[in-house]
Amino acid sequence: MKRKLSKGFGALVLLAVILFVAGCTGAKQEKSTYTFATWAAGEELKEFSVIIDKVNREANGQYRVEVLSIPSDYYVKLATYIAAKKTPDFFWLTQELISKYAELGAIADITEMFKESQVLTPAQYYPGVLRSATYQGRYYGLPWIANPLIVYYNKDLFDAAGVPYPPAAGGWTWDEFIETAKALTRTVRDKNGNPYQQYGYIVDGWPNIETFIWAGGGDIIADNGVDVLLDSQATLQGLGILQKILKAGITPPYREVGSLGSNNVWFEKQRVAMFMGGIQDNFEVKVSRLPKEEQFRIGYAPMPVGLDGKAHAFNWTASTVLSSKLAKSKKAYDVMEKITLEFFKWKIASPLAGEVDRILEIAPMKAPALATIQICLNNARSANYVPEWNEINHLLWLKLYNAMLNDPDFDYESEVKAIAAEARRLIANRK
Amino acid sequence: MKKSRVGFLFILPWVLGFVIFTVFPIIAALYIAMTDWSIIGRASFVGLQNFRDIFADPAFYKALTVTGRYAILAIPLTIITALLVALSVNNDYKGIGIFRTVFYMPSIVSGVAVAVVFKWILDPTYGVLNSILRLFGVQGPDWLYDPAWVLPSYLIMAVWGASGGLYTYLAALKDIPKELYEVATIDGAGWAQKIRYITLPLLTPILFYNLVMGLISAFRKFTDAYILGGAGEEGVFYMVYLYRQAFSFYKMGYATALAWILFVIILVLTLIVNYTKKYWVYSERK
Repeated sequence: MKRKLSKGFGALVLLAVILFVAGCTGAKQEKSTYTFATWAAGEELKEFSVIIDKVNREANGQYRVEVLSIPSDYYVKLATYIAAKKTPDFFWLTQELISKYAELGAIADITEMFKESQVLTPAQYYPGVLRSATYQGRYYGLPWIANPLIVYYNKDLFDAAGVPYPPAAGGWTWDEFIETAKALTRTVRDKNGNPYQQYGYIVDGWPNIETFIWAGGGDIIADNGVDVLLDSQATLQGLGILQKILKAGITPPYREVGSLGSNNVWFEKQRVAMFMGGIQDNFEVKVSRLPKEEQFRIGYAPMPVGLDGKAHAFNWTASTVLSSKLAKSKKAYDVMEKITLEFFKWKIASPLAGEVDRILEIAPMKAPALATIQICLNNARSANYVPEWNEINHLLWLKLYNAMLNDPDFDYESEVKAIAAEARRLIANRK
Repeated sequence: MKKSRVGFLFILPWVLGFVIFTVFPIIAALYIAMTDWSIIGRASFVGLQNFRDIFADPAFYKALTVTGRYAILAIPLTIITALLVALSVNNDYKGIGIFRTVFYMPSIVSGVAVAVVFKWILDPTYGVLNSILRLFGVQGPDWLYDPAWVLPSYLIMAVWGASGGLYTYLAALKDIPKELYEVATIDGAGWAQKIRYITLPLLTPILFYNLVMGLISAFRKFTDAYILGGAGEEGVFYMVYLYRQAFSFYKMGYATALAWILFVIILVLTLIVNYTKKYWVYSERK
């Protein structure tokens, strides 16, 4: 009886050991289903899903990626997912938030895997684009789009005013840009003979304030991510350029911009002759769909050269990031990399150097702009985003840019010093 | 099973819901207000530091001023407007129901839709309001684009949507015994005297109710302010300021502390209003 009991006990122990080992092995098994969160909705979501389906097919059952669409309140919902410990494995993150999420430990430091990759390496990217995915010199995301600023202009309005086109290869200064805009600002008549004001350019909070600060050779935050350069002489010079534009009367008064809906509509309706927009903006398609008599010819020029001799083109980028819980998973990184590579064939423009021709496959109507787009991509620049960026940027909008738009004589020097002091306080409190 | 136990079982789902979805979040919010928490990362206990930071932040006082100023003007304006509308539709003329419906409609429109519509109405160049003013040779202001006109813009919106309390006033008006008016007529009272000595005193309970609700609603103003904003900091109402701290700046502990301060402000103001009740609100129990 005793023997039987001891045999039975032994069998139970053996079973427990087997189950324990199996359990441990199971725990070590790599994840094979991943969730990808995106803000894409509607048509963009359909296109996104086609890419994910393709990646899933090519995975041959080794893994599967599921789409998590968050079309509204994306960052609020994303934060809630993370707080609930249900962080999506991959997700899109705008450049302004990379440093914040990195600081809070929500996204993985992918530096080593990125550098050692045989497929996609940092060297392949435009440096100004890739910079947006870094924090404290480490990589936290794979940018999947480059969208630097370019100057779109209305050739017909230039011809009507007898103003020569800006150089497609660039090299024009901000002073030349302002003079050109002045020549294009005039009272004209519509087809019914009614007079209306045509403007050379439009500013209404867009382009963002970095564009002007960089034009003066200044910056908001230094490369080290700590020093505040807002009250530097170069930054003040840049803001001086913005004030000069606002005082010159070459842009519609701020209070009037909303009357047409948004700033780009002013360009589409030929109320302004020049517009600084991302290379992705599809004016070509929009104009081609207008009635014949409302269509116009579009020209392209790189951004004007600033006081530091560079034609900085503010670049908006989003990255694919990896949840920090998968920081050590090479397999997950590879999946993210594979999907990101597919995005390059989808969006304008690929953030990889030497791929500008891909634009023609996605948007053939951009062909006349290709050479200028290449210049803008080479000059693409991201700000030095820090975890406190949203707060600093909010102050810059509320107390500086908005105030300048409402009052072209606004004393920006005093205000920018106060904002710089607040930015220093915020950065000093960083954990 | 005892009858009382059966009763408790019947109310158990409600009690559980109350504990899980009300009591627990209140306790959690109290704790979160005393932490440095960004939603995404871990929370660390900081005691009363968030409250100290808030009281040292000029933006807090600015948001409080914007909201307080709005509340002081919007509450009486909306109460008077709704009361006047109620008095004007408190009769049984043929087709009066249509007018009541029309007046009540603004209060059932979503806040987002109202904000979008008012964005166009208040547009300085092509907006309806300035176009009407132009007909009279008046150059309208820049409304939301001019710091001095941001508050009046929001007051116009508040008055437009004031009829939310219309039906409470109408119900109260219908409750006033007709005999009182008949007696007053026999005594030679005119329209104004009837309003002054009969209608208004008997409406004070509902005025009190709408005053408290208006107070809460004014301090919690968010949707249209979030969408429309306003020149400079003039459109930054308290709730907009709180929302930004939580979801733009990822300072959930700080934002929760702000929510507690708002709760205390509303509570104190409500208690003050409640204290004054005995001086001006009619009660049959007197």
